[in-house]
Amino acid sequence: MENKKKFNLRTLIPLATAIVALVFIVVGLKDYGFWKNQPTPGFFPIIIAVVLLASSIACFIQVARDKDSPEVKYNRNELMVMLGAAGIILCTFLIGLVPSCLIYILLWLKFVEKAPWKVIIIIEIIMAAIILGVFTAWLQIRFPMGLLGDMIF
Amino acid sequence: MENLLSLLSGFQVALAPENIGVCMLGAILGLIVGAMPGIGSLAGCALLLPLTYKFNPTTAIIMLGALYYSNMYGGSFSAILLNIPGDSPAITTALDGYPMAKKGRPGQALMAANLASFIGGTIGILILTLTASGLATLGLKFGYAEMTIILLIAMTSISWLIGENPIKGIVITMLGILVASIGMDTLSGAPRYEFGNMYLLGGIPFTPFIIGCVGFAQVIKLINEREADAEKRASDDSKTKLSIKESMLTGHDFKRILPPILRSGVMGTFVGVLPGSGATTGSMVGYAMQKKFKSEEPMGTGAIEGIAASEAANNAAAAGAFAPLLALGIPGSGTGAVLLGGLMMWGLNPGPLLFDTNPDFCWGLISSMYVANIFTLIVAILVIPFLIKILSVPVKYMIPIITCVCIVGAYSTSNSMYGVIIMFISGIVGYLLDKNGFPTAPMLLAFVLAPMLEQNMRKAFIASQGSLRIFTDSALKLVLLAVFLVLILTPTVKSILRKIKAKKAQN
Repeated sequence: MENKKKFNLRTLIPLATAIVALVFIVVGLKDYGFWKNQPTPGFFPIIIAVVLLASSIACFIQVARDKDSPEVKYNRNELMVMLGAAGIILCTFLIGLVPSCLIYILLWLKFVEKAPWKVIIIIEIIMAAIILGVFTAWLQIRFPMGLLGDMIF
Repeated sequence: MENLLSLLSGFQVALAPENIGVCMLGAILGLIVGAMPGIGSLAGCALLLPLTYKFNPTTAIIMLGALYYSNMYGGSFSAILLNIPGDSPAITTALDGYPMAKKGRPGQALMAANLASFIGGTIGILILTLTASGLATLGLKFGYAEMTIILLIAMTSISWLIGENPIKGIVITMLGILVASIGMDTLSGAPRYEFGNMYLLGGIPFTPFIIGCVGFAQVIKLINEREADAEKRASDDSKTKLSIKESMLTGHDFKRILPPILRSGVMGTFVGVLPGSGATTGSMVGYAMQKKFKSEEPMGTGAIEGIAASEAANNAAAAGAFAPLLALGIPGSGTGAVLLGGLMMWGLNPGPLLFDTNPDFCWGLISSMYVANIFTLIVAILVIPFLIKILSVPVKYMIPIITCVCIVGAYSTSNSMYGVIIMFISGIVGYLLDKNGFPTAPMLLAFVLAPMLEQNMRKAFIASQGSLRIFTDSALKLVLLAVFLVLILTPTVKSILRKIKAKKAQN
């Protein structure tokens, strides 16, 4: 039964880095070369990728053998933060970056944190002042307006 | 004498109205960011980097320097009042700071931390003033091969010191170097590893990458600290009232803190100069050293000497870390890597030549640290009555705010959604790496130093026509190589010895 233990998630990182190393070695050797009278553009990345591959394999073995360390646990809240940021990025293409950020703050504070309206309004005002005052007015950044903004303005 | 004259000319730069203004702004922002639990100097500098784009390089680095520096002050506030260190260098401050606050002396604990930070920092800046240009002169004697070995030492030492697992340190360092090699070849300018993507042709943009790895990854982690934070805030500790008058130290207190401050100030500076150590190691060494000396109360039970030793050492280390950064172009820590990346972005090449080519910049920055130190002390004392209000912003409200700052900051530095997407991806990767015990600071350091390492290594091989002898043909190179080998082998030998000990204990 012990042998049927489920797949150790912690081995995923060294596995991923080993794949990255292999890609850099193969592409490097194929497209950029290693040495042609002198070091070519592939020389340095290939050396580094070989070291990465070797250390990833060592790390994989080390992690797979280690039965004492607790399993890494992921929770839903962490995913929500990532989804929130992804939501802002997607909404930016529709309604622009500044409104997306302000709507995200409102939704997050109201529905995730259950914050009172007074706190939400204060934070919205501060954030609007920072984005519009510092970034737009002072640093003169032109934030994307999105499809909707482009249609209106 | 020459250094003194250069310092005086540096003060002319530092005392220009706009530089005083940004120095104050940096000091205030650094105190606030440092006091907020869970953000830290690395994330603070990364998040505020976009704000400096409007300035010239000198003004920009003065602001960032002041911010980094005052962060060390701010980290102690929440450590003392809430037992939540604002930053990792403040962990040792909490060991005695919080018990002292519980004993009814929170104001004195804060005042001792502020004074220790000020004096420790001043010692660090004085040593920096005296040694930085000398270090740069020494650096001028280094050729491509020496620089290659020194850069390898800098990269490996930070991986060794930060994580307990050297293999993970190597993996993360190599990954950082490979990410940096995407885009263009540093010597020929030919496209490399762009995989047919026109955005990747320009490489991975530095600021969005840093904001993601540090800032956004931190937000994802912060979500798990909401409950613990709320519980701590609900306790009586966060309702203490403070005033400057009641926080004043007595003559006896001052006598108790002065010796540890002086000792830790000197020790912390030298720890800060070592590549890979930084303020956290500085404060730990300072605190450990104080344990060997006599304290009026036992350490860990609210000894004011413990707070003084820890705070003096971390501020001194923060100042000391500027020496290798300016003189050799080698940052001592993750925050140093952000500052170095900023310098490169503004078109400056830190290294031995910087003191010759941009003396105004170097000495202006060093002088501004004296100014920032004084400003930060004044602000840190004046802010004492309002600290409880500042610290009362709960972590749960910080999450959406920092997320938006990350997105807006990443966009503003790249002027395209590509920067935001890089920030988002690197944030998730940084979070996953951290969760699995891979420290991200070595990756940032490797990302920043990789182009310099590649250039030096390739030029060394071109000069030697491929012979490895170029790395061993002088006594200096052999000594540097020996240091490098000791750094690599020490953790492996330690780990083998630990296993043998554990086996013996089992038997």
